[in-house]
Amino acid sequence: MSGHLVAPNLFELCRVLIGGILGILSDAIKGAAPPGSPVEGLRGLGDAILAPWLIDLSAWLIAITIMVTWAAAVMLLTFMWIERKTYSRLQDRYGIMISVWSLPFWPFSWWAKRRNKPTHKGLGWLQNVADGVKLLQKENITPAKADSPMFHTAPVLIASSTILIFAALPFSEGFLIADVPLSLLFILAAFSLAPLGILIAGWASNNKYTLIGGMRAAAQLMAYEIPLLLAVIALLFYSGTLNVIDIVGAQEVALLTIGPLSIPAWNIFSIPQFLGFIVFFVAIIAEMERIPFDIPEAEAELVEGWLTEYSGMRFGLVFGFKWLRAIAGSALIVILYFGGWSGPVWYTANLSVGGAVVPIPIIPHEVWFLLKLVLLFLVFVWISWSVPRVRIDQILNIGWKRLIPLALLALILAAVFAAFAPLPAGIR
Amino acid sequence: MAVDWQLAAFLILSALEVAGSILVVTSKKLVHAAFWLAMTLVTIGGIYLILLSEFVFLIQILVYAGAVPVLFVFGIMLTRRKIMEEVTPPERTETATEPGKEGNP
Repeated sequence: MSGHLVAPNLFELCRVLIGGILGILSDAIKGAAPPGSPVEGLRGLGDAILAPWLIDLSAWLIAITIMVTWAAAVMLLTFMWIERKTYSRLQDRYGIMISVWSLPFWPFSWWAKRRNKPTHKGLGWLQNVADGVKLLQKENITPAKADSPMFHTAPVLIASSTILIFAALPFSEGFLIADVPLSLLFILAAFSLAPLGILIAGWASNNKYTLIGGMRAAAQLMAYEIPLLLAVIALLFYSGTLNVIDIVGAQEVALLTIGPLSIPAWNIFSIPQFLGFIVFFVAIIAEMERIPFDIPEAEAELVEGWLTEYSGMRFGLVFGFKWLRAIAGSALIVILYFGGWSGPVWYTANLSVGGAVVPIPIIPHEVWFLLKLVLLFLVFVWISWSVPRVRIDQILNIGWKRLIPLALLALILAAVFAAFAPLPAGIR
Repeated sequence: MAVDWQLAAFLILSALEVAGSILVVTSKKLVHAAFWLAMTLVTIGGIYLILLSEFVFLIQILVYAGAVPVLFVFGIMLTRRKIMEEVTPPERTETATEPGKEGNP
């Protein structure tokens, strides 16, 4: 029994889809070129496009395209919108309000004028699209004495390593690209590639602000990677696997049942993992360079930190991909500590497709995952717009003197609890 | 037509690796050398992946590609090279004049 919509997985779904489309195309070619007609040679083409390797290849390409579009366009824009709206509300103002009716061309402007719709009182989701279009149009300026090849390599490195996270990061059991046995390690490895790109960006811009920002970013990201990985090791004592799907599967069992309610055995409900969660939470904020830890791009002292010299869409790339890293970090916390996509799934809608009854989950796993993701991201936004920025020495003190001992404590406790698992009954 | 994809991937990766390691020792700028070292280490990881040892591949990326930024920082901080190249704007000797506007009374 499965509770996810994208079943059995994205690749199989794409293969069925593209197999159907290519089958219709093949039939059309064969119908247009019957045997004996002058274009009979085309029948070979009709057979050739049904080759299994071609279907597999196109299914992979389509699956990757869907995932990248979903992550880097839909999720990125939505999370930017959530952040901008939320912090505006926290600051007692409306924030971005561009709506469809603000679009200055035919159907929208005409309809808005006719129905007397207020043009700038929408939800504001389109503001990010407008900003992206603006950045695309702007000139790409390379500073005069910048190291041009490295200056242009750095955004590619940052963007590609961030996209690489989503090769293994699942949104449910089915909504993922590759289910590799070591996917958690893969995600963390892809996460750890960004400091290199940031440092290259800071150095190659040939500007003292970018250099200082790059050095600070490198110091911070390297320092916080250690407690992050230690907390993950503490978690591995409980899950015993590096596959994120199995980690979520281990959390789906019921911890205790009170009447009709059953509390799932999420990792956060255990003592050592709670310590690990605190460490992981703080460290992932630092890895995202969000505001309490955004000393690499402190606007008041360094202009924009390591991305000062970027302009146009390169700036948009390195700036916007910070949200993609925020999404990946929130998703990682949800997967590791909050039970991932597990949640009550009610099967009541039975869809009849060609005689076969397909049970459609009322609240599929994808919805649960997105719900937890958004709630956690709102906590991040809440923290980052209420807490003042910490200094660079405070950042390193928190990292090396507080988080690493706490992570080691979580590690030892997790080892003890895992070794004497049956003894403290009920206590995890 | 049977293409040995593993051999092809190995040849590409090893060519990149050899090129990267040559560039490490020939680069004039230390930071460039560190960058090429990162490329060399990641391609070595790719060869581990061809040998079907995924764990070593991921640890290679996590540890070595993560350690290269440290080398970067050392390269910037501990060497006595001029990091910032000063940009002095060229002296403007003659002011550009527009012919049309100058003659008007």
